[in-house]
Amino acid sequence: MGRMSDAPKPDGGTVGRFRSVVLPHLDAAYGYARWLTRDPTDAQDLAQEAMLRALRYFHSFRGEEARPWLLRIVRNTWIDLRKRNGAEKLPLEVLETRAAEGPDPEQSALAGDRRRQIAAALAALPAESREVLVLREIEDLSYKHIAAVLDLPIGTVMSRIARAREKLAVELKGRLERRDHGLPDL
Amino acid sequence: MDCPTCEAMVDAYVDGELATSESAAFERALEGCPECRRRLEAARMMSGLLRELPAEPAPDLLRARIERELRTIAGASRVRFPGAAMRWGAMAASLLVAVSIGWLGGSLVGQGGRETDELVAGYIRVAMSEHGVDVASSDRHTVKPWFAGRIDYSPPVHDLTQEGFPLVGGRLDVIDGRKVAVLVYRHNQHRIALTLWPSSSSANAAATIRQRDGFALADWRHDGFEMRAVADLAPVDMKAFATAVDAAVTADR
Repeated sequence: MGRMSDAPKPDGGTVGRFRSVVLPHLDAAYGYARWLTRDPTDAQDLAQEAMLRALRYFHSFRGEEARPWLLRIVRNTWIDLRKRNGAEKLPLEVLETRAAEGPDPEQSALAGDRRRQIAAALAALPAESREVLVLREIEDLSYKHIAAVLDLPIGTVMSRIARAREKLAVELKGRLERRDHGLPDL
Repeated sequence: MDCPTCEAMVDAYVDGELATSESAAFERALEGCPECRRRLEAARMMSGLLRELPAEPAPDLLRARIERELRTIAGASRVRFPGAAMRWGAMAASLLVAVSIGWLGGSLVGQGGRETDELVAGYIRVAMSEHGVDVASSDRHTVKPWFAGRIDYSPPVHDLTQEGFPLVGGRLDVIDGRKVAVLVYRHNQHRIALTLWPSSSSANAAATIRQRDGFALADWRHDGFEMRAVADLAPVDMKAFATAVDAAVTADR
């Protein structure tokens, strides 16, 4: 992607095409942003920023699949916003395991204890595992498209998914055991 | 096929990423490998559980904010964008319908869902349009008199620029069949709609703040007025807003 100043200013026609090609994937962009940020307000800001960035870069869109293209921009925007907020000095894992409360179950209207536990377990995973599972199971992307979003070889995507599912199983088991012993949720 | 090979294929098999011939080889290998069968079951279960999570669509307000940006960009690069206004109108109409019958319908408990629906629908009108106010002024001596003769009470109006919430203006809305005053404030790029009307109780009640789809909703009672605020703000900022309103109202008595 070129520097911002290289980009031609979008005109009415560009906005029109953008509306029909990219805007339909706003739900996916928000869903991904929701799991990256784990906060509904931050997710809206991230999705909005990513959408505007996508419009500015739309001239470089070459008719590939729009959803992975947009999700990659969401991810890059998220990384940039975190850098801007001075979070890059912490290693990813430390940062991600610290705040693990995840989307508020009340807000997300996640019905039922089981779903709540799954959402909490997913939210508690380190970013690397969390995002690959979100792209696979929630956004329903193929390995090829996940590889495009994350800029990784397909083989790496495959092994990350395998590891992430194992981590999720361990996390979920831990949560269910805590609950069965009458302990509060983490 | 040896076990490490079939183990490496478990997740790709679950995800339907193996070629037909690989799938068949994997299934044959599976028969002789209880450990990989166990892995397959575990991977399938995790996949299935995550797929049970309900999708969370983009909030209407986010959609409205992006629409506003797109419209501005399209409008700035053209002298006139024929049809844009009409499309915008249609979009606004469908948005309001979505708000009143959709995700807000009866989903807020305790406060009376309809009142909250009306407040949020009113807020979206404020946040979505360029102006969103009937009287645009940061001067309380312009905004407050504007309500005279339009509603049957005189709302307390204060500019809160010092506290980080400049007054943008005022408008009328209808809540529960009654005409009410709505004051519009700004916090950075976010707008806040404060709807207020005389209370039947004189006792103050501290602000309670709920969050819903990226909106913060505050309701409280102060100095004989029922206060309801809606904004796309973090709860802590909404709390600061309510505190600022109360302090200004009290200081003015």
